[in-house]
Amino acid sequence: MLLCLGLNHRTTPIELRERLAFAESKVPVAAQEIRALPGFEESVVLSTCNRVEIYTAHGMENASQQGLSALFDYLTVHFQLTPEQREALICYRLSHADAARHLFRVVGGLDSMVLGETEIFGQVKAAYTLALKNGTTGRALNKLFQRAFSVGKQVRNDTTIQRGSTSVGSVAVELAEKIFGHLRDCHVLLIGAGEMSRVCAQSLLSRGARSVFISNRNYDRAVELAKEMKGEALRFEEWEKAVNDVDIIISSTSAPHFVVTPELIQPMMHKRRGRPLFIIDIAVPRDVDPRVNEIEEVYLYDVDALQSIADDGRRERQRALVKCEEIIEEQLRKFGYHEESSPAPVDISTLPPTPLNLEP
Amino acid sequence: MCDSSFVPIFIMEPSRILLLLATLAFIGGVIHAVIALRAGRWQESRWHLAPMALGFAFQSAFLYLRGEQHGRCPLTNFFEVLIFIGWCIVLLYFLIGAAYRLSLLGVFTAPLVATLQILALLSPFDKAIAARSKVNPWLEMHASVALIAYAAFALACITGVMYLIQDYLLKHRRIHALFHQLPPIHDLAKAIRRMVLLGVILLSLALAFSFKINVPITNSKMIFSWCVLTLYVVILLLMWLRALSARQTAWLAVLGYLLPLASLWIVTK
Repeated sequence: MLLCLGLNHRTTPIELRERLAFAESKVPVAAQEIRALPGFEESVVLSTCNRVEIYTAHGMENASQQGLSALFDYLTVHFQLTPEQREALICYRLSHADAARHLFRVVGGLDSMVLGETEIFGQVKAAYTLALKNGTTGRALNKLFQRAFSVGKQVRNDTTIQRGSTSVGSVAVELAEKIFGHLRDCHVLLIGAGEMSRVCAQSLLSRGARSVFISNRNYDRAVELAKEMKGEALRFEEWEKAVNDVDIIISSTSAPHFVVTPELIQPMMHKRRGRPLFIIDIAVPRDVDPRVNEIEEVYLYDVDALQSIADDGRRERQRALVKCEEIIEEQLRKFGYHEESSPAPVDISTLPPTPLNLEP
Repeated sequence: MCDSSFVPIFIMEPSRILLLLATLAFIGGVIHAVIALRAGRWQESRWHLAPMALGFAFQSAFLYLRGEQHGRCPLTNFFEVLIFIGWCIVLLYFLIGAAYRLSLLGVFTAPLVATLQILALLSPFDKAIAARSKVNPWLEMHASVALIAYAAFALACITGVMYLIQDYLLKHRRIHALFHQLPPIHDLAKAIRRMVLLGVILLSLALAFSFKINVPITNSKMIFSWCVLTLYVVILLLMWLRALSARQTAWLAVLGYLLPLASLWIVTK
């Protein structure tokens, strides 16, 4: 009988998740200990920053409550939780088809904080491979995990669950990549050192952008940020000179008027020899005159445009969710996991909102 | 040989059946891609190359049969020239477009090739040509290299269309299925320049071969060929000097292809 005991970002606050996370080196030992518990035959331990889950195969067919209680006890004893912490700990306890369905949803990214993210697929695969290598899996879990990976791939390939970006930072990166291809030759200029522009620049740097220049009215703040991002600080009076050398401008000053105007950009474009210019205007009121978007090879996006694209991306993924659930139910039937438990209804409104600048 | 294209398939000659199959493969590929794109199910996959590869195989078989029949390069009439250009476009798509072919270039290439082949199938110009006893290699080289150059210009035209669509989507913030599948705009601009450069080199080579041909060539053919070369040299220079924006050069690559298309009629007469 399949059992799954787990907790994730929805059930448990980060303080407790941190406390209950298995260190990578301890995972094989934990899997062995679980398998050694009475009645347990196989086990896989999945421990990521957002979830801790134990998948097991229990020898007795009708001992789900008993088996899940034993897993819960193991968890509390292993992490030496106080009676208060034990009382506060909320875990999901799943058996049979529910456990299989949950794993399929996890592998497909449907249970993730950022709906449809793909990193979890690799994390589950790594956890399973480790368990396989250490001999804690057997026929039941091998079958379950192999099928989960196949379902995960199908969900990814046959639906739009991964389509589009869901945060302002990732939208900025996606647009930059659609303009320049790769970002390794791209230089970024920050005009103003606001939090959101910093996050956007970090997203671009994490995807390979070559360098970042930071210009701020408060020069010390620019130097501080430049140090943090391994960039170069410019005095505020100097940023205009840098425009010709950069590919992406992120503007977020508190100026009450337009800082970047067509009169400034148009002559620069002649010197750029065909290199496009991507401008992200995060400021409110806006820093960049909208007429700048009319200049050839200049692509201007303000914060509303980025947010709207991120919202579309989230909606697109939510629309795909129904199709994903259908695929999972179909595969549960196909693979012979019995149908006595009906799936939990998909309630999109209960999904946690994606943090504004969280990279999926 | 058949004078009319409206002939039941069971009495069509084998080469025309091959051509029909090639056309169906390209059309099938496009229909499948358009349906997948509209439904948001398009995924980059090598399977999307299959209709192109199948169409190319049928085209190659057609040209082989015709070559055997004529005892020379199958460029004996307007019908065959259209098929040869279509074949060259697909060949260049496989050879040069490697970086882009998984990103919709095939979907944009297939309709053009299918259109050329439908035109060829419907045209009344597939007249029998007696096999030549002696083949002039310079003439054969001139014709085939010139048509490969025309194919490069055709790919520049297709890439130009892709550039203009992606530019529109970026400027107007229409971030949907097609946007996700089109290649980056900077790469498209570079691809246009490469295709035009390749076409200019090949056409220059073809015209250089024409000086070696002892057979007289009509003035109109030569004038049109030189006009096409001049047009693309000018486009190339404008690109090189960055005198125009990337969008304007994309328009030139698209509209410029009208001249080679029109000239085909003259040079194949």
